[in-house]
Amino acid sequence: MNPTIRTESLSKRFGRTIAVDGLDLTVPEGAIYALVGPNGAGKTTIIKLLMNIFCPSAGRADVLGIDSRQLAGKAFNRIGYVSENQEMLEGMTVGAMLDYFHPFYPTWDRALEEQLIRQFDLPLKRKLKHLSRGMKMKAAFVSSLAYRPSLIVLDEPFTGLDPLVRDELIEGLIERAPETTIFLSSHDLAEIESFSSHVGYLEQGRLLFSEEMSVLSDRFREVIVTLSSPSPLPANLPASWLQPQTVDCVVRFVHSSYKDQATAQEVSAIFPSARDVSFDPMTLRSIFLAIAKSNRGATFSTSHQTAAREKIA
Amino acid sequence: MKQILHIFAKDVRRFWPEILISLAITAAFAWLYPTQWLTMHLSASPPRITNQLIHLLLLLVPVSWWLLISRLIHAERLVGDTQFWLTRPYEWKKLLTAKLLFLVLFLYLPIFIAQCLLLAVAGFHPLSYLPGLLYNLLIITGIIVLPLVALATVTSSFARMTLTVLGILCGIAGILVLSSYVNMEHFTVPNEPNYALALVLSVCGAAVVVQYAFRKVWLARLLLIAPPVLFICISEFIPSSSLSLIDRAYPRPASTADAPIQLSYGPDAFHQPRAYQARRANEVEIDIPLKLSGIGEGFAVVSDGVRVSIESPSGFRWISPWVPVYMTDYLPEDKDSYVKFTMPRDIYDKLKSTPLSVRLTIALTQVQATNITNISLPSREFSVPDFGNCSPSQWMPSLTVIICHSPVRQPPLASVRVSWSDSSCSASQTEHGTGVPGVGWAGKLDPDAVPFGIDPVWEFGVFPSNSNLYEHREHPRYLCPGSSVIFTRYKLARRAQISLAIQDFHLPAQQ
Repeated sequence: MNPTIRTESLSKRFGRTIAVDGLDLTVPEGAIYALVGPNGAGKTTIIKLLMNIFCPSAGRADVLGIDSRQLAGKAFNRIGYVSENQEMLEGMTVGAMLDYFHPFYPTWDRALEEQLIRQFDLPLKRKLKHLSRGMKMKAAFVSSLAYRPSLIVLDEPFTGLDPLVRDELIEGLIERAPETTIFLSSHDLAEIESFSSHVGYLEQGRLLFSEEMSVLSDRFREVIVTLSSPSPLPANLPASWLQPQTVDCVVRFVHSSYKDQATAQEVSAIFPSARDVSFDPMTLRSIFLAIAKSNRGATFSTSHQTAAREKIA
Repeated sequence: MKQILHIFAKDVRRFWPEILISLAITAAFAWLYPTQWLTMHLSASPPRITNQLIHLLLLLVPVSWWLLISRLIHAERLVGDTQFWLTRPYEWKKLLTAKLLFLVLFLYLPIFIAQCLLLAVAGFHPLSYLPGLLYNLLIITGIIVLPLVALATVTSSFARMTLTVLGILCGIAGILVLSSYVNMEHFTVPNEPNYALALVLSVCGAAVVVQYAFRKVWLARLLLIAPPVLFICISEFIPSSSLSLIDRAYPRPASTADAPIQLSYGPDAFHQPRAYQARRANEVEIDIPLKLSGIGEGFAVVSDGVRVSIESPSGFRWISPWVPVYMTDYLPEDKDSYVKFTMPRDIYDKLKSTPLSVRLTIALTQVQATNITNISLPSREFSVPDFGNCSPSQWMPSLTVIICHSPVRQPPLASVRVSWSDSSCSASQTEHGTGVPGVGWAGKLDPDAVPFGIDPVWEFGVFPSNSNLYEHREHPRYLCPGSSVIFTRYKLARRAQISLAIQDFHLPAQQ
């Protein structure tokens, strides 16, 4: 099966600033891929590169089998794009906007459009410029879902929305998931954790890792080791142990390569006097916090970044 | 086609107020402008407020286009990365075509209809001048529409576009000021291809296509800036580049006898060299009297340009650039004339007390009479074939002139011979036959295919000589109905460059 999105050494520079640095990314067909990372990590730039809004400085990207630089015109019949800061036809009513977009798409589904309008409770006769931010996003969603696109690209779609609207949009999105691939960016981990199948973590334009959500969840564990007596942390801890710290008899760290028995043996070997060891599953938020904090602890030279990537992956 | 009409319909729905404003301004222009033609008729001058309104409309028509173009192009703007249409199935060719369709229907068609109406009001059948009208639209495209479209494609909003336009206007003004400082006046070779129009059309067209096809903003901006700057630098600041063009256009005759006119230095009691303050403070204008002879019957000679070389006994030499000569058309009966040129004041001061060798090189055009129309001057409008529609008009209470309208462009060069009456037209008719001759010139030998303008009717007055308007006002002369008026149209015979050497010439004292 061909991936829906594939990038090879994709890079983008703005003058001397490197926004995206040698990105290799694969989004399989049918995935709900969440690209996460702090503000300024390069998420929006990557999406704009994929959508041919920006031209790559180096490398390439294929979207639905098309070189992103050739992405134009009819190719967008199969792509739905919603962005938090995308301009809309502000002077039009919601109904007029949908009527305007409808003839562009041979696959526009009027029944689905009406269903989404009902589901999102959209006021058709209100002008877009008079809608709240949440309502505008709903209108954008309807105009990008009604033609059943093969790929839905969302750039920070839930930023600044109240939880109710966010849940409504996610619900609408999940209903479309079986027939499409979804690629979205977000810096809010909690909102994407519930429905993403894949996740990629971006920092300073570089992808620190990219994998299935289940694999990621399996791989990370918060490890709490209770020792029989207080002792300092041993030197040369494994690179996959993130943020190790000790308080009295308790050693706490995040294991980024958890493998059941093998990890237990590894911990026992390093802490032979351990009275108790617990391996707790982590939320996505906890995982990313651990990653972010362990990276910020290092000075961001290239060598440190490489080391950090190796450690996490 | 479906997508083109769909985008077009959206723009029409969205911009109907702008369309209405533009149409209303164009309609007001077409309705009011003909009253402007009467301004030369003293008895029928329109109210001042109407005149001011007409001038305002002449400005408002392109301003309304500016607004319309900006709104239209910026609706799907090409600068930026947050536009809704970038990720919709827009095809750039169809988007561009939709925008062009809008301009054709709401900009070109209204002004075309307005121009047809103006021609009809002036007494010309519009369909007879269709090529000229279409060429006029091409010029409007090159000078107004396409540059505005190109600027709209490289800016993100009306405000930014306005700032850019104002910046460009300031730039052009600066270049013109600098150019006038560096190079005084330009003498252009007749029939020189209109490189500027071709350049504007091609660079603006290229920038628009680059933007719609690739959205390469900086490339498009560079395209818009670099070629015109290069062109201006070459044409304005390197005048020597046109010397070979002038030599080619005005070859030297094989012998003096072969020249279309014989010139000699001709001071006499009534014609003396003169010097006076030129328009610019640091320049002096010099008039040198010339005697004319040798113009063949049925011919006339037009003086186009002059170049002056002055050398002092000490070896100091000053050579002027080629400068145009205005209002110097000579008929066989003309015997005297002046050649005029300006020179820097410091050089004038340096040379004025020294005997000089002066060499005048004059670019001349010999023209040959073709059609002659002899008309007994009617009191109302009359038609002159291949020229236009004319009518006698009361220019001043004591002076009647001939006001003419020609369709689309200037008429061909023509002399207009009249017969002035020393007594008022109410005197007996027998006096009119023996009038004082007067000659006026109108038209252009190499008329522009179409001059730039929103108005398609060229209005001009013929002011024949010997009217006593300036020199003997107390004895006015009259152009009376029934007197003979002869329109002689001319065609190009040849162009030539002749030289005249004057020895021991003393620059006159400044008056």
